[in-house]
Amino acid sequence: MTIAAGKLEEQTDLNHLVACPGCDLLHHCRTLEKGEYARCRRCGDVIQTRKPHTIDRSLAAVLASIVLLLVSLCLPFLSLSRAGIASSISILDAVAALWFNHMRWLALLTLAFIVLLPLTRLLLLGWVLWRIRFKRKIRRGMRTAFRWSIRMEPWAMAEIFMVGVVVSLVKISTLANLHTGLAFWSLLILIAISCYINLVLCKDTIWAILTGKR
Amino acid sequence: MGDSDWQALSARQSGLKACTSCGALQPLADHEPCRDCGAAVHSRRTNSLQRVWAFLIVGVMAYFPANIYPIMKTRSFTGNTTDTILSGVVVLIQSGSYVVALIIFVASICIPVLKFLIIAGLALSLQHDWDISTHNRHRLHAVTEFIGRWSMIDVFVVAVLAALIQLGAIMTIIPGVGINAFAASVIFTMLAASSLDPRLLWDHTNDD
Repeated sequence: MTIAAGKLEEQTDLNHLVACPGCDLLHHCRTLEKGEYARCRRCGDVIQTRKPHTIDRSLAAVLASIVLLLVSLCLPFLSLSRAGIASSISILDAVAALWFNHMRWLALLTLAFIVLLPLTRLLLLGWVLWRIRFKRKIRRGMRTAFRWSIRMEPWAMAEIFMVGVVVSLVKISTLANLHTGLAFWSLLILIAISCYINLVLCKDTIWAILTGKR
Repeated sequence: MGDSDWQALSARQSGLKACTSCGALQPLADHEPCRDCGAAVHSRRTNSLQRVWAFLIVGVMAYFPANIYPIMKTRSFTGNTTDTILSGVVVLIQSGSYVVALIIFVASICIPVLKFLIIAGLALSLQHDWDISTHNRHRLHAVTEFIGRWSMIDVFVVAVLAALIQLGAIMTIIPGVGINAFAASVIFTMLAASSLDPRLLWDHTNDD
């Protein structure tokens, strides 16, 4: 339900109102059943969600992602052989190779978007979810951590890197024999799991827990 | 939405502002950070349009060298070749990899150019009160925010190839300056898209 002009009473509790993030239209909060969500009446953006078992599911997925990301970073994702010379690289090797061949800016970019941002985001998210799941004391730092993990989302580009790897495969398949390594497949699963995290992570529920409104 | 007198209110019109990170509301006059999550709360993003134009102009400027200068140099015993973004697409078409050629063409050429046009169009529509459906503009903005990051594909292709193909005299791939300019263009256009506050689109609208 939206708010009509002149109907907003002075005493209305701000916790019972919600503004659409897309168009700022004010709505009364609805009590949602598990699995329901509410959309804005004007622009159609989702304004309230209540996803079931969000803490358990997201924590499991985040932990799995951290393991997979570490595997993807350290093991080779591509190897090639031509005329008796073989070369095989992991993501960290790739970053190091770029750095030592005087392509520092490209190395830093890859490091930031593929390694640092995704890893930091997952660690922050994991820490927050872990403490909630095991009923530890809610600290103020957890709110900051959760806020930053949301902000980093568009800048973590593992799935785009993956498409880049596939394109590179096609580009040089005529020049040399290419093989995909274990890290290639773990990166593929990582992307599937990060989609899953987006599906099951309920920001409303977590904010409500973090701010003590529930 | 039915009867004509009925006018829904935005948070701003009700003297409130919502935190963009956690959604908590606070009075407009309140200059404290969000009491729930600690983020700075602005009713509308500060200097939204100025930031959009600044980031967009840098993004467009960087896009020219990105296309003119080579993004990749290949040295091998059969000779040296250089590739620009467009010639990379042409090579892929000639070698018969049509799908990959299409991916690169869309990611490196269509998406950036469309984004420039859409963001500039949205900013102009706000400044000059163009009569375009706000629903459509809202959708366009959501799409540009979503697709922008996919332009980075070409940057990662060059990074992977340059790191992998270091076979000395047989074949070596070196990134060209064009790829730095291209990465900068993508990053600044992403910043431009995220600086545009979609709530501004709805401030002077009669659409329901």
